[in-house]
Amino acid sequence: MSDITEPGRSGRNIPPIAISRMTTEVNLTGSWKYIRPRYEDRVAPCNANCPVGIDIEGYLYLLGQGRTEEAASLLLEENPMPAVTGRVCHHPCEDGCNRANLDEPVAIHSVERRLGDIALASPPPAAPDPARDEKVAVIGSGPAGLACAYHLARIGYRVTVFEAAPEAGGMLRLGIPEYRLPRAILDRQIDRIAALGIEIRCSTAVGRDLPWSELDTFDAVFAAPGAHVGKDARIDGASDTRMVRPGLEFLKEVNAGGRPVLGDHVVVVGGGNTAMDCARSALRLGSEVTVLYRRTPLEMPAIPQEVKEAKLEGVGFRFLATPTAARAKDGSLVGIECQQMELGPPDESGRRRPVPQEEGRFSMIADCVLTAIGEDCDLEFLPEGVEISGGVAAVDELCESTTARVFVGGDAADLPRSVADALGSGKRAAIGIDHWLRERSGEEVAPPDLAALRFGPGGNLSIARERGIDPLHRASPVNEVAGWDAMNPAHFEQAPRHEDHFHAAGDLTATFGEVNFGLSEREFRDEVDRCMNCGVCNRCELCLIFCPDMAIHRRDDGEGFEIDLRYCKGCGLCAAECPRGAMAMSREES
Amino acid sequence: MSQTIIKDLMPKDELLASGHLACPGCAAPVAMNLVLKALGPQTVVTLPACCWSIIAGPWPQSSLRVPLFHTAFETGGAVASGIKAGLAARGDTETTVIAWAGDGGTFDIGLQALSGAAERNEDIIYFCYDNEAYMNTGIQRSSATPWGAWTTTTPTGEPEATPKKDMVSILAAHGIPYIATASVAYPVDLVEKVKRARTIRGTRFIHILAPCPPGWKTQNDETIDLARQAVQTRVFPLFEVENGRNWRLTVDHADEPVAPYIRRQARFKHLTDEQVERIQADVDDRWERLQRRIDCGT
Repeated sequence: MSDITEPGRSGRNIPPIAISRMTTEVNLTGSWKYIRPRYEDRVAPCNANCPVGIDIEGYLYLLGQGRTEEAASLLLEENPMPAVTGRVCHHPCEDGCNRANLDEPVAIHSVERRLGDIALASPPPAAPDPARDEKVAVIGSGPAGLACAYHLARIGYRVTVFEAAPEAGGMLRLGIPEYRLPRAILDRQIDRIAALGIEIRCSTAVGRDLPWSELDTFDAVFAAPGAHVGKDARIDGASDTRMVRPGLEFLKEVNAGGRPVLGDHVVVVGGGNTAMDCARSALRLGSEVTVLYRRTPLEMPAIPQEVKEAKLEGVGFRFLATPTAARAKDGSLVGIECQQMELGPPDESGRRRPVPQEEGRFSMIADCVLTAIGEDCDLEFLPEGVEISGGVAAVDELCESTTARVFVGGDAADLPRSVADALGSGKRAAIGIDHWLRERSGEEVAPPDLAALRFGPGGNLSIARERGIDPLHRASPVNEVAGWDAMNPAHFEQAPRHEDHFHAAGDLTATFGEVNFGLSEREFRDEVDRCMNCGVCNRCELCLIFCPDMAIHRRDDGEGFEIDLRYCKGCGLCAAECPRGAMAMSREES
Repeated sequence: MSQTIIKDLMPKDELLASGHLACPGCAAPVAMNLVLKALGPQTVVTLPACCWSIIAGPWPQSSLRVPLFHTAFETGGAVASGIKAGLAARGDTETTVIAWAGDGGTFDIGLQALSGAAERNEDIIYFCYDNEAYMNTGIQRSSATPWGAWTTTTPTGEPEATPKKDMVSILAAHGIPYIATASVAYPVDLVEKVKRARTIRGTRFIHILAPCPPGWKTQNDETIDLARQAVQTRVFPLFEVENGRNWRLTVDHADEPVAPYIRRQARFKHLTDEQVERIQADVDDRWERLQRRIDCGT
C-alpha cells in the first residue's frame, strides 16, 4: 500500500499514516433517494401561440448555438415564407412570450424576418423526389394555397396551383402594400416555393376561366380563394358618385402599380388592417387622410404597430363615428354626413356594440371615401355538395369539406383572417389531404394524432413532428405549455428589447418603399440571446454546476445530459434551479 | 448573465468524485467542486475536522482527485502553512495549498492557527464554508450561528443570543492581501474570485455561505435559492477586500426584506415578528457599515 513502512507492534508492516487509494465511487449513494429527477421538455408559449405552428423556440435555440442553417431549415419545416411573415405577421407569439414578465417580449418577428432573409439568400431548394403518384389542385396562390402546395410538394405530391390574378401571391400581392412587403421579397419567396416542382397557373380563375369539372383529373382539391368582396358600408347616395369606393379595390389598383387620383381629402371607413393599408397608401398618393372608425382605439382589429405607424405618418383618426350619407355634386363627391356613436353592450364578438348617439350628427369634407369594413368570400365556384355556413365553408380541422376530395381553407374557412392563420390552415390541409390520399390508396394509416402534433393543448399542428424531425433532440417531450410559473427568474437578467428601425416618418409619403428596416446584425443576436428557451433544455449546464453529487454528465453526442442514478441522492436542486422548467422530479417506486 | 455564458466560463476539470457522503442538497460539495474547478489539479487540500471530514469518505476512500490531508480541528491554518513550507523546501512553488474548514474550525476552534498564518502572511488560501453551526456533530451553535437561530445547544426557549461574529473584519484587520465572500448561488462570481486569489501570493481568505438542509431545517432543493436570497437580502453580501482596504461589492444586491428568508427556515420558526424586525435592523446596520467601508476605501 505504501512504500514508507515500519514494523508495528504486531510485527506486521503498517504505514505511519493512512493513505486513501480509491475514490468514493464505490458508495452507490443513489440508494438514499426517494425522488428522482428527469429531463422533460415542454412547449414554449411562443410555439403554442403561433397560428402557423412554427417551432420558434427551436430555431431560436439553434441560432443561439450558431447553427444558423439548421435554424432556417427548422423554420422552413413549418413556414414556407418566413421573409413574408417576419414582415407582415401580427406575431401573437410575442403576446405569449414569458419574457414580458421580466422586461419585454423577445422581438420574435424581427428575428424571423432576418432569418427569413438569410434563407432567401441561400440557393433554392431542390425539388423533392416525386414519391407520390397523386396530383393535387390548389385554388388560390395566397398564403393558405401556397402553404398547402409547399407542404404537399415536400411530401412528394404533384401540385398545380390555379390563380385568378395575373401573378401569384393572393392577398399578399393584391392587398398588402409594397411599403410593408416589398415585391422583390414576395417574388423570391414564391419562386422558392415553386422551385419544389409546383406548377402555378396564373390568370386562371376556377369557375370562370376553368370549369370545376376540369379539376376531375386531380385526386384532391384544396380551395383557398380568399375573401375579396368588400362589405357594403351602406352609405346613402354612394351610388351617385364613383368616389365612394371599396378600399380593397383601391388597394388592388395601387398594388398593381396604379396611381389613382383621390383628391385632397380622403376618408377611410374601418379599423382593420385593410383600412390602415388604404389610409397609408392614400397618404402616399398625396391626400390628407382621416380614418373613421365606429368604435374606440381599443377595439380596433388592426395590428397595433400598423396603427402607430399610420399615426406617425400623419393619418388622422376620428373614433366613434360612422358615415351615413354621401354628398355629391355633378357626380363628384364633396362631403359625407356622419353619425356620432357611443358604445353599448357587448355584441356576439365580445366587443361593445356601437350605437348612434342622439343629436350626434356632423359632416366632413371628402373627395373620396374608401370603405374597409371587412370582406366576404365568393364561394360560387365550389361544387354544390360543399356546405357553406355563415359565408364560409364548413370544414373539419384538417380542412376537409362535406364533399369528398374537396378541402377548403384560408379566409374561406372559419378562421381569424391573418396571413399566419392562412399559412396554418394550408398546413393542416396538407396533413389532411396526405392522410386522405394514403387511406384512399389502400395504405394502412392511422388518422393523424392531432393532440400529439399540436404545440401545446391549443396550438397549431406541427408537420415536423409528424415527420419526426427534431434537431434539438428534445428529452421526453410533454405537450404542456411552460408558463412563467415554470421558469426560475433568478437566472435571467433584464435586457431591453430591440425595436425595428423605421424610415423617418417625414420622408414616407413620397414613397412606396419599405418603411421597416428590421434589426441590425448585433440587435438580431441580442434578441436571440434574450430568448429564455422556455420549457426546453438549452444545455446551459446549470444542473451540472448545482448537482452536489456530480451525478449529471454531458452526453457523448453533445445533445443533453445523463443523470447517473447510481449516485443521485434525489435532492432536487437540478430541477429547482433549472432556469426554464425543463426538469421534473418524480417519486421512486417503492 | 445568460446561461450559455456561464457554461463557457466554467472550467472543465472534474476533481470531485460521486459517492461522497454529504447529505442530499448540501451546499458544501457544490462549493468544493466550484473551488477545485477554479484552482485546477495542482492543489493540496488541508481539511481540519468539519462536515467535509465525513464527505471526503472513510479510509481508504477519498472523494477528491487532488491530495487531501485530514487534520485536527484547530490546525487548519498551521497545517496548510506547513505543507506549503514543505513543498517550498522541495522547490515546488506552484502548487496551491488550501485549508478547507467549516465555521467551527474557522470562527472558533481554528481561529488561533488562522490568525497566526494570516499574521505571518503564509502563502495559502483559507476557505471557510460556513453552514452557521457545528452541523456534522449534531447542530451545536458556533460563533457563526446568527442571532435568534435554534441549535441543539441553543434551544428555542433560549435561542442564539449574540450576533454572528464578523469574521471578515477580523481577517481584514490582519491586512492580508485578499479577502472575499462568495456564494454557491453565484457560481461565476465564486469562480472568478478563486481564480483571482490563485494569482495572489500571501494569505487569502474566502468565506462561502453554505446552507445546510438538516441544520437550517429547510428542504433539500432550497439550498441554492437560500444562498441567493441571503445575498439579495444583504444578509450575506458578496464583496472583496484587498490588503485590508479597498472594499468592493462584486454583484448587484437587491434590497429584499429579510423576513421571507428567515421565515422559510424552520431554525427561526419560533421568532416573533418583532424579533425578525431586529434581524432586519442588524442586517441594515451591517450593510451601512459595509457601505461606509466601500465609500472611504478602507
